[in-house]
Amino acid sequence: MGRTVDLLDVARRMYGQGQFESHAVILDNSFSHLHGFFHRMICLSENLVKRYDPRGICDVLENLHQRNIFDTVLIPATNLGKMVAPRLSRRMGAGLVSGVTDIKREGDTIEIIRPAYSGKLLEKVHYKGRGQLIMSIRLNAFEYRSGGKLQTEVCEYTGPVSSCKGIKRLHVEKKRQICDIMDSEVLISGGGGVKEYFHELYRLADALNGTVAASRSLVDQGVAPRSIQVGQSGKTVSPRLYMALGIHGSMQHIAGLRDIESIISINTAYNAPICSLSDMVVQGDAGEFIERLVKRISIYRSEKKDN
Amino acid sequence: MKIICVVKFVPDVGNMAWDFENNAMTCENIRACKNSRVILNPDDACALGFALQVKANNPDCFIEIVSMGPLSVRPHMEDLLRLGVDRGSLICDPLFDGSDTFATGEVLARYISTRSFDCVLTGSLSLDRGTSHVPVQLAETLCLDQMLGIIRIDLNRFDTTRAVFEVEDDNSVTTYEMAMPSILSVTRESGYKLPYIKLKDMQRDVSDELVIISNRDLCFLETELVPMGSFLENAGTSLQTYDKKKRRVVLNDEEGITSVFNFLKQRGFL
Repeated sequence: MGRTVDLLDVARRMYGQGQFESHAVILDNSFSHLHGFFHRMICLSENLVKRYDPRGICDVLENLHQRNIFDTVLIPATNLGKMVAPRLSRRMGAGLVSGVTDIKREGDTIEIIRPAYSGKLLEKVHYKGRGQLIMSIRLNAFEYRSGGKLQTEVCEYTGPVSSCKGIKRLHVEKKRQICDIMDSEVLISGGGGVKEYFHELYRLADALNGTVAASRSLVDQGVAPRSIQVGQSGKTVSPRLYMALGIHGSMQHIAGLRDIESIISINTAYNAPICSLSDMVVQGDAGEFIERLVKRISIYRSEKKDN
Repeated sequence: MKIICVVKFVPDVGNMAWDFENNAMTCENIRACKNSRVILNPDDACALGFALQVKANNPDCFIEIVSMGPLSVRPHMEDLLRLGVDRGSLICDPLFDGSDTFATGEVLARYISTRSFDCVLTGSLSLDRGTSHVPVQLAETLCLDQMLGIIRIDLNRFDTTRAVFEVEDDNSVTTYEMAMPSILSVTRESGYKLPYIKLKDMQRDVSDELVIISNRDLCFLETELVPMGSFLENAGTSLQTYDKKKRRVVLNDEEGITSVFNFLKQRGFL
């Protein structure tokens, strides 16, 4: 998953390292890993506000804003974040930019970049530091690499929250836990060209200690779950190796690839868009490719074991 | 039961293609997309598809579609009325041209607050801007609860008092109950589909069922619709480009597999 601490990379790009004061509002109980990164952590007691109630969470953020007058509020673009940011923007009268994937600063102008038109175009918004700004940040689009050396002050939120009577959570059905494609170093990703034998990708992923991902076309057809979808409407991934089998490479899909060290594509059409971005293109049937490569890796591993 | 469906007509971005030789979108494609063909926003179509299912089960159900846009979308609205929607309201006024999501939410809210309703159904995401601002800000203005990302609404537990529905995320599928009136925003993953227009309704005159709402009806002052982020400057759009690599093309034979194998080994994946 995208990390809370990565929001600090957005702040660093906007204001410069060490040039801002950061407050983190903590909705769950596991926050020890954030110590040292933020100047202040504000924790919400467990029964104060339901974690699925955007109006209650907005009450908290609005109240904190009234006390602290934040210049910028950064919210992860999760389903909850997408419900909180626009409400908060309206309450605070703040500017709103959502799904931000890049920030550049030139002089006094901060350029905020977000994909539009299904990732086919990039929309640019200029912010000159005047006025309060709320941004929802696309998960995994930023990475904060500095160490946490701050003396973090931890405090509990004590302000008012309107009670939520309208929404009740009736049931949560956990999905089978699989490795998150955003955390994997090796992704074996399938598109429309492997629809008939998508399950074979798991054999190749096992051989390379990787994780299986999919393009939107397979998810829309019900072949693969949405949690492993790469792209503008799925997840942004940054593996070391991305193996694209039977993937055409629409703009929507490519928008979900970031800082990938090596791309190998396997496609009958060697000039498919994804091939232009690849280090190596294997022209041919992906099913046969899996069979051959898995066999080759298996021989290599058994020989290595014998020696 | 009275349902209001808020819908938007958007450029058909699905027809934009990547020119991989030039590593960019062609401007012709983009212009064509922005200026010509519009479609019903896919998530909004799912929301309306669900509303029509409710009406199929309960013919007393009254469905109104509300859209804000130019008069040119009128024929699209009429087609939706031919599906069995009871009333269409197209909000259209020069004052509302170029409204941002905040202003759109305010305008829609002022109109909707004049109507009686049990539930407002919307899509979750707009295809053009790729945001979910309008349903959320509409809910905030109307002081209603709202939920994004709904993949299923239980038809048997959808009435004037409450709705039970499912929302999916990476780790779970969660079932919620929400008191009515509220705003439910459906995703295209719900799979709700619009029916086809019946042959007998293809040419049906629906002009009496479509109402054009202007600012004469809503009485906004120009100053009320100043964008929230007026200090933010839209610096335009640019084409998404990617770094091409010096690719090596191999065949799917023993030699090609050896090349891939060696590549993986050299880079430490084996």
